Amino acid sequence: MFQLESVTFAVPERTLLQPLNLTLPPGEMIGLIGHNGSGKSTLIKLLARQQTATAGSILLDERPLHAWGEREFARQVAYLPQQLPAAESLTVRELVAFGRYPWHGLLGRFSVDDEQEVARAMELTDVTRFADNLVDTLSGGERQRVWLAMLLAQHTRYLLLDEPTSALDIAHQVEVLALVHRLSRELDLGVIVVLHDINMAARYCDHLVALHSGQLLMQGSPSELMNDACLEAIYGLPMTVIPHPDQQSSIAVARA
Amino acid sequence: MNSAALQPPSRLWLAALLLLCIGAALFSLHQQMPLAQWGALIWQPELNNLDQLLVYYSWLPRLCMAVLCGGALGLAGVLMQQVLRNPLASPTTLGVANGAQLALALATLYAPTLLVAREWLALLGGGLATLLVFALARRRGLSPLTLILAGLVVSLLLGAVNVMLMLLQPQGLAALFIWSAGSLSQNNWDGVLFLLPRLAAALLLIGWLVRPLRLLELDDSGARSLGVSLAKLRLLGLAVAVFMTACVVSSVGVIGFIGLAAPAIARLLGARTLQQRLLWAPLLGAALLLLTDFGVQYFAGNSSVLLPTGGVTALLGAPLLLWLIPRLRLPAGRPQLQPATQLPRLQREQPLLLLMALLLLGAAALALLFGLGPQGWSWVLDPQVLQWRIPRILGAAGAGLMLGLAGSLLQRLTGNPMASPELMGISAGAAMGLMLLLFIWIGAPLWARLGMGFLGALITLLIIISFARRHAYSPDRLLLVGIAIAALFDAVKMLVLSLNDPRGQSVLSWLSGSTYFVELPTALMAIACGVALLLLCLPLARWLTLLPLGESTPRSLGVPMRAARLSIMLAAAMLTAAATLLVGPLSFVGLMAPHMARMLGFHHARGQLLASALIGALLMVIADWLGRNILFPDQLPAGLLAALVGGVYLIWGLGRRR
Repeated sequence: MFQLESVTFAVPERTLLQPLNLTLPPGEMIGLIGHNGSGKSTLIKLLARQQTATAGSILLDERPLHAWGEREFARQVAYLPQQLPAAESLTVRELVAFGRYPWHGLLGRFSVDDEQEVARAMELTDVTRFADNLVDTLSGGERQRVWLAMLLAQHTRYLLLDEPTSALDIAHQVEVLALVHRLSRELDLGVIVVLHDINMAARYCDHLVALHSGQLLMQGSPSELMNDACLEAIYGLPMTVIPHPDQQSSIAVARA
Repeated sequence: MNSAALQPPSRLWLAALLLLCIGAALFSLHQQMPLAQWGALIWQPELNNLDQLLVYYSWLPRLCMAVLCGGALGLAGVLMQQVLRNPLASPTTLGVANGAQLALALATLYAPTLLVAREWLALLGGGLATLLVFALARRRGLSPLTLILAGLVVSLLLGAVNVMLMLLQPQGLAALFIWSAGSLSQNNWDGVLFLLPRLAAALLLIGWLVRPLRLLELDDSGARSLGVSLAKLRLLGLAVAVFMTACVVSSVGVIGFIGLAAPAIARLLGARTLQQRLLWAPLLGAALLLLTDFGVQYFAGNSSVLLPTGGVTALLGAPLLLWLIPRLRLPAGRPQLQPATQLPRLQREQPLLLLMALLLLGAAALALLFGLGPQGWSWVLDPQVLQWRIPRILGAAGAGLMLGLAGSLLQRLTGNPMASPELMGISAGAAMGLMLLLFIWIGAPLWARLGMGFLGALITLLIIISFARRHAYSPDRLLLVGIAIAALFDAVKMLVLSLNDPRGQSVLSWLSGSTYFVELPTALMAIACGVALLLLCLPLARWLTLLPLGESTPRSLGVPMRAARLSIMLAAAMLTAAATLLVGPLSFVGLMAPHMARMLGFHHARGQLLASALIGALLMVIADWLGRNILFPDQLPAGLLAALVGGVYLIWGLGRRR
């Protein structure tokens, strides 16, 4: 469980995150939504320890983030940055095997266990058939799945994903999010994901957290947040929520 | 800065600058001559009064010269930046000045009669250098960074040739310095009279070009759609800029950085449009050079030391460039020697590594036993001869091994295939530390030299990394810092050599990378040091595998970033320092060896480290052997030869089609 206690983040010119109190339970898929610059990316970077909060404290399982060792933390929390690094001349298997670093460390042996974890991660994300291909030769959706496999090989309890679908077309967005949703269920993973598209967020997340100008605006289940008034407050644009033609959920469209 | 940039530069700055220059001039004149004589000087100089004579024939022309040269270089800088749409273009960064200087040096040594038309000679040299830079960068769409990189490679290469000339013709050394160090001192009005009409002609041409040049602020298609012939315009603009540079170089030598600094400062002060920059940059350039020159005259005093102003501007310019780098907005662009997907991959690395090790042993044995002697090519088994050759070969192999390893570490640390001890200026940093030591403690023992070199390299590396971190290790910033440090080193070197100190010659032979003076203990130290560090680095392979992925992925995998970076940096600094001690700062082996290892298909960190170390050692052994035999009985330093070969290889690597 992540607990945030009056967490602030500021750069010299401005404050990106106002004092924020928030509890993120384990085992759920939680979507962070909000307009550009609302602080959702900042928040996820703080949770992933990519950046350090200016003030306040973040606890993971009642222990401050900074008190966790580097590899110890990496065995709990895996993070996927918004921009995937170029994986120059790496095969899929090699990249996925990087996820085992927190377990074997700098000098430890790459054991049979590690090998099995890598195979399992590639199985779960259905990239086994690319195992010996170069990552850079894959398509965007495939590459995203490969990186997800690396995160799974880390065998953590939490996945933090910063806009995992921003570079994908709609078919691949659905594919990746459905996969993440399924993994969250099957492996009992806590997933915290930054999403731009409110409809995608509403469809795949169990819980939504909306930020506005660096402040917590509201949180709740998708059905609680999917109404005209809430969405207008979140995105600053008149929105209409209509029932989905085929499914139980609803979808939002901009009215302006 | 955004809102300020829209304002035209305030006249206040101009006035302040003018006042400062006038104040400095008056102060300087006051030092030359008592106030009472000033009137006489203006109305009718008394030519039998020594003070007045000096002022009239030396002080005043020197002042005019500083103003003219500074202005011309500032203008040439603006022109190049505008034509190439590249905020870093300048006579020095594009290799123009070095080309011009080399042409003049060659003429001085081998065909002094040609010096009658020295500005055309300089133009030829500068033009050829520019063409070379262009030929390199052209295939990559003339992206700003590639151009600057090509300029850096060409300048380093020309610099290596220059050093070779100095070594081969020590008697011409003094003459060469006239063209390299940029001394403004004058003893008549000839220089001014030479420069004035030529610059006036250039100015006229520029005036005629202003309107079409302005359109170049749009991108290519925009300018073309307005009916401008881009190719002709570029060519003409560049030609004028090169011509002005050539004139300056042929009258006073290379004056570093004014051409880069003046336009950049003008831009920062808010000169936004081309007209504003065309006005401001020359003024600033003139003021900068004038003030620097007054400073040099003041500090040098009347002592016999001939302190070249051009060297001092480079000395001041390098920190300025460092300060500018974070403030420059550069278009993105990644120069890569080779796109990722074309690289071959080795399935099994051990056989090739073994083969390379055998090759190295074979080459070393051949270099030891076979060579050109008084009786022509022959095998030598005489222990008398071998005892001279063994240390050299061991030293060369050790240095090459260390450079290859250092280059590999740096490329993985920064995730940048162009990183290397030479291009990042780390070798230069080590060399500066060593040079300092040579002057304060003659005959310093090995450990002290190693320590100072290490200190220099480490400080440089820390500067570079602290700069690069702010920009997420983007390759362009990394290289820019390297350029600045290399320029600083060049200035220091020039200044040291121009002191005419007997120690200068020994510095020079060391700088050029001669293994001639390597003794057995040093050579054994090199091998031991290299192998030990190699063994220390191998366990770091997993970090080295993860670090090229950037900042966030290794961190999220639990790599202790600070510790990892610091240990790799320490190792790289140590390796660079030890190698520099042996073969001097310039060899390109640290860039070539890792690149060749990648081309051979070594893509795992561990294999790449081993392969680059072996290739580096092999390259240096070959270079050393060639250096001993190519011009027998003359000897060329191994480092220099490696630099020449490396430069050509680099040019080939850069120029290859994508």
